[in-house]
Amino acid sequence: MKTMKKFHWFWAWDDEKEEAWLRQMAQEGWHFKSVSLPGNYIFEKGESVDYVYRLDYFVDHKDMPAYLQIFEDTGWDYLGEMGGWQYFRIKSRDGNAPEIYSDKASKAKKYERLILYLVIFLPIFLSMMNITSRSDAGYLRFFSFLAEALMLLYIYAMVRLIIRVTKLKKGV
Amino acid sequence: MRLDYKKHLPLTESTAYILLALSEPLHGYGVMQKVETMSKETVKIGPGTLYGAFSNLEKEGLIAKVGEEKRRKSYLLTEKGRGLLKEHIRRIEILLENGLPTKDW
Repeated sequence: MKTMKKFHWFWAWDDEKEEAWLRQMAQEGWHFKSVSLPGNYIFEKGESVDYVYRLDYFVDHKDMPAYLQIFEDTGWDYLGEMGGWQYFRIKSRDGNAPEIYSDKASKAKKYERLILYLVIFLPIFLSMMNITSRSDAGYLRFFSFLAEALMLLYIYAMVRLIIRVTKLKKGV
Repeated sequence: MRLDYKKHLPLTESTAYILLALSEPLHGYGVMQKVETMSKETVKIGPGTLYGAFSNLEKEGLIAKVGEEKRRKSYLLTEKGRGLLKEHIRRIEILLENGLPTKDW
């Protein structure tokens, strides 16, 4: 069977765009086969099917079986995981797109879990910046620059995610 | 006792229905089906929402795990959950009384 490798990066706050892209790929006959970090997809060529894809953020591996069972019981296929992102798929009926979160409050919690997870990295970032900024060695200057760039990205991601949560909670 | 419920109220429609469904022991899929039937399909609960609701409600002591068959956990309303649901329904009854005249609009 014909397969295709494709690199496709997405930002956590834009996960819905990724879902839409995967649906479009399926409509063109390219069906999700696997994904690995940092966004390496493998697709398999088949007939055009209107599959709806949903991404959840879930890292509680201890309770994974019970979590997946609920999805499976309601007709969702579990496709795999990439860095905490859980990929699910269901066939669309009459063009409608089923959701895995049926209200905004619970959807907001998905991004809150992600924010909480990101907070864990904060001390690592700060110590990295501390070490690299204390030295004048040339090669460390590069790492210092890298650490600062990462820190900026980190702050930006946090802000975007917090905006996402706030909007969902306000019901916008 | 009523004050104790304040932090949980008002319940969202899906939470109220999940609690109602759990007046008998049910697992995830059972809850979803029951809620859909009870609500005449006005409320549908997604699997992500339901999983989250189960863990939150259990943490808050409103429901308790009563069984585990294969990978399906079943839950039942606790005394605290019953009390909360009662208070929620009492408030809805008041709303309903006030809202009845809208039928003649």
